[in-house]
Amino acid sequence: MSCYLTASGAFLPERIVTNAELAPLLGVTPEWIEMNSGIRERRRVAAHQSASDLATEAVKNALMNSTLKAEELDYLIGGTLSPDFQIPGIAPLVQRKLSGCRMIPALDIRAGCASILYSLQLAQGLIASKVAKNICCFGTETQSKGLDLNPRSAEISMLFGDGAGAIIVSDQPKDEMSWRLDDLLIASDGNFAEDLCLRAPGTANGARWVDSNSQIFPQMNGRTVILHAVRKLTEAAQTILMRNQLTLDEVDLIIPHQANLNLLRTLGKKLAIDESRIFTNVDRYGNTSGASAFIAFSEAQAQLQPKAKILLLAFGAGFTWGAALLTN
Amino acid sequence: MLPNAIITYLHQAAKEARTEMPENNTSLFEAGLLDSFSLVEFVTLLENEFGIRVSDAELRPETFETMAKIEDYLTKSRVVV
Repeated sequence: MSCYLTASGAFLPERIVTNAELAPLLGVTPEWIEMNSGIRERRRVAAHQSASDLATEAVKNALMNSTLKAEELDYLIGGTLSPDFQIPGIAPLVQRKLSGCRMIPALDIRAGCASILYSLQLAQGLIASKVAKNICCFGTETQSKGLDLNPRSAEISMLFGDGAGAIIVSDQPKDEMSWRLDDLLIASDGNFAEDLCLRAPGTANGARWVDSNSQIFPQMNGRTVILHAVRKLTEAAQTILMRNQLTLDEVDLIIPHQANLNLLRTLGKKLAIDESRIFTNVDRYGNTSGASAFIAFSEAQAQLQPKAKILLLAFGAGFTWGAALLTN
Repeated sequence: MLPNAIITYLHQAAKEARTEMPENNTSLFEAGLLDSFSLVEFVTLLENEFGIRVSDAELRPETFETMAKIEDYLTKSRVVV
């Protein structure tokens, strides 16, 4: 049974942090940040804003772009690496903040930057099993609150921005711009769990969730991440196209997780496609982790026509990765 | 001895980095011959040139850190005998 991505929305905090503002904190130049990431600016939340605040606004925007009211949602699936609290999850907080939302199941997933694909597969299964008809999947991040703004962490702290995106997944199409989920593949390789991680709070850190030796900042072996991201994204794209008897020429737009512009360019070279066929907004928002592909999908709607085919690609901590093929 | 295709690639990388070819045990990253993205290109070259696939477990920068390590890897992969 198919399901349909019937509407989407995004929400970005107002405050813009340029490379010129960030660079001195990281001991680098604005040009160095742009050369190494393609990022020119990113958004940042205010102290009083949390990830669930951004998510709630993104969900509201998705609902505004749909024919649904909050009351009609049957399920919430949220992905974040920067939750409001360790416990409870973020999805129940969005349920609480979303005016009109019934006491529906609200579930967190922790699939890093590939959250969009993992949540879409869950939504597909819930719809196929008739548990739900209308599901809201969202990704939201306020990573800025947990970054090490110090030269030792320049390579990772230059990347992240805050934001949220949401997608309504339904059992029926709503209009000609509803996207049918044709195929989806996801995978993981836990052998690389420590190559992109934030260790604390966690129970692998000794006697306490957070002890004096715990790492409370994100850590990344960038070269390993890039090697695997390019390989896995390339192979995921090729596999999903092959098993649907399609070629890349038949895909109108590739919408990837916005990790780093240089990575997306390398991916384009590997796939032998022109850069113009890869949607990017990383220059404006930075890497918004679990929210990025949601935001990209939402923004890409403006440049897509009916009867188009798109490929979503995402790779993140875990490692987790995958691809989704959609047609409207 | 590294195969010619590898030597040619590294010579070109050294030229672009405006540096000399490093010693066998010098880090190619520290010498400026490889970075995060040219490493992807380098691994693609290895795989295409020698018809091998670098396993996921070995797909790490440490495997290609120096010319000596590259030679070890290619020997183990039976590209260099």
